[in-house]
Amino acid sequence: MPGQNNSSQDQFWTLLSKKLSKEASAEELQELQSILLNNPDLHHHANMLTEMWQQGSINKGIGSEAAYMRHIMKHKDELFLEEDPIKINIDGSVSETDAGFLRAFFSRKKSLVYSFIGLIITTGVIYLFTQNRGAKLPPQQALSSVVTKNGNRTKIVLPDGSQVWLNAGSNLDYNNSTFNKDLREVSLNGEAYFDVTKNPDKPFIIHTKKMDIKVLGTVFNVRSYSNEKIAEAALIKGSIEVTLKDRKDQKIVLKPNEKISIANEEPRAEPKQNKIIPANTSHIPQIVVKELKPNPTYNIIGEIAWTQNKLYFEDETLEDIALRLERWFGKKVTIANESLKNVHYRGNYESETIEDVLSSLKLSKSFNFRIANDTIVIY
Amino acid sequence: MERTDDLISLGMRIANDDQLAYRQLFILFYNKLSRFVMGFTKSKELTEEIVSDVFINIWRRRKKMEEINNLKLYLYVSAKNITFNYLKKLHRENLTDLDSVEIEPEDPFADPGAALITREMNLKLKSAINDLPPRCKLIFTLIKEDGLTYKQAATLLDVSISTVENQLSIALKKISRAIRYTFRHN
Repeated sequence: MPGQNNSSQDQFWTLLSKKLSKEASAEELQELQSILLNNPDLHHHANMLTEMWQQGSINKGIGSEAAYMRHIMKHKDELFLEEDPIKINIDGSVSETDAGFLRAFFSRKKSLVYSFIGLIITTGVIYLFTQNRGAKLPPQQALSSVVTKNGNRTKIVLPDGSQVWLNAGSNLDYNNSTFNKDLREVSLNGEAYFDVTKNPDKPFIIHTKKMDIKVLGTVFNVRSYSNEKIAEAALIKGSIEVTLKDRKDQKIVLKPNEKISIANEEPRAEPKQNKIIPANTSHIPQIVVKELKPNPTYNIIGEIAWTQNKLYFEDETLEDIALRLERWFGKKVTIANESLKNVHYRGNYESETIEDVLSSLKLSKSFNFRIANDTIVIY
Repeated sequence: MERTDDLISLGMRIANDDQLAYRQLFILFYNKLSRFVMGFTKSKELTEEIVSDVFINIWRRRKKMEEINNLKLYLYVSAKNITFNYLKKLHRENLTDLDSVEIEPEDPFADPGAALITREMNLKLKSAINDLPPRCKLIFTLIKEDGLTYKQAATLLDVSISTVENQLSIALKKISRAIRYTFRHN
């Protein structure tokens, strides 16, 4: 620029960058001021660069949550994931396991240990009672329990080699001593994807709140959270036989790519193209058997999307979505506005942050949300 | 940007086996470290592996967290060292040269409207930043986006502080030249 001292120009940039990076001394700041005073044409640049600097980058945070999951799965033996079941005896004592993680996990949190065990024992007792109705579970054996916390998923291998992928907020119980004797029985609350080794001599039975599922050797997904309205079992390969706890006489066999949905509480209206099994009385839950379809837009089968680290809502209420988000991200999500709870949404997400997911959902039907630390409020 | 005392308390919690704090640290730095590493490796898979190594080391050495003075710098230096080791093993030492780094900065203006920046100016800014010479762009990104201090950047890249000063100064000058050009055309 004509009439300007070149070195004073260079000095301007050096000082400005120091100011923006907060590295400038008091004298340097003053020097910058005087340069600006003498060169008003530089104001525009200074302002624009300051604005750019201060606005900061768009911290997308894209993919970091999914990357963290991959990281812990990669190093799961060193990080804490509850892969080995905790052996708890009926009298409340904890068996010595060789799971070193147990010691590391519990060593500093004594009070947590006792409340944790207390919880399992309660659940164990409930399951034993349920199973004792007609089942042959011997009373004095160790009950093994695998629990995931919200925000985490885990995979375990059962004594017969069957693999189970547990989704967040789920637990799977089984009797370690009797597991592979005559029957292979487990109890599930939550969601799990099973790959059961084939053994026609030893039926594999999964007990959930509303259904018992008997399999011979197959791949399928079961979803039965106690705080959700619908329980489902979806079959991918092989065949499974579902016995409804409320209707013991009726056994339903699923073929590959079929799924069964059972209302946990009140019956809910289902679309007419599916087979509806009519209820005998108004108290028996409504059951629907549907065909599994990959969603053409997203190219995944909704029910197993979570095993591929995809979060998929086909047509769910915001209330249900909030629960799913809680489990997926491990954060608390509450809906302050009652009228929002029943609005339906659909979506497909992979590595987005919870903020991205909510921003995207509200584009279709609007709502507001507020994030504070690990709590989200939708209003 | 992360506050130093926040990082100190995170570090202490991690030393006490707090996995939630560990996860927070991961989420806080994953993208920035990945971008930094990617500039050298130019490979998504290798980058993810390296960043995972950085963090598993943190967990393995968590009991010694108090010995780390500056967790943020430690993460970056660790990332660089692990990256250079991998590249050496792959016989791609040429990629460790700062002049071959290709770092991808974020969009310059998160909210162009607020600064009365036109779309055209924003695009010019973005391409001006992209056109910065590699070493210059790297230093600009580390200071502006990642919030490293001059000293941290100098230590990390093994250059002098005056190099960092100069490069940053050049960056701002080149960037504003792009705007000046646009301005004239109005």
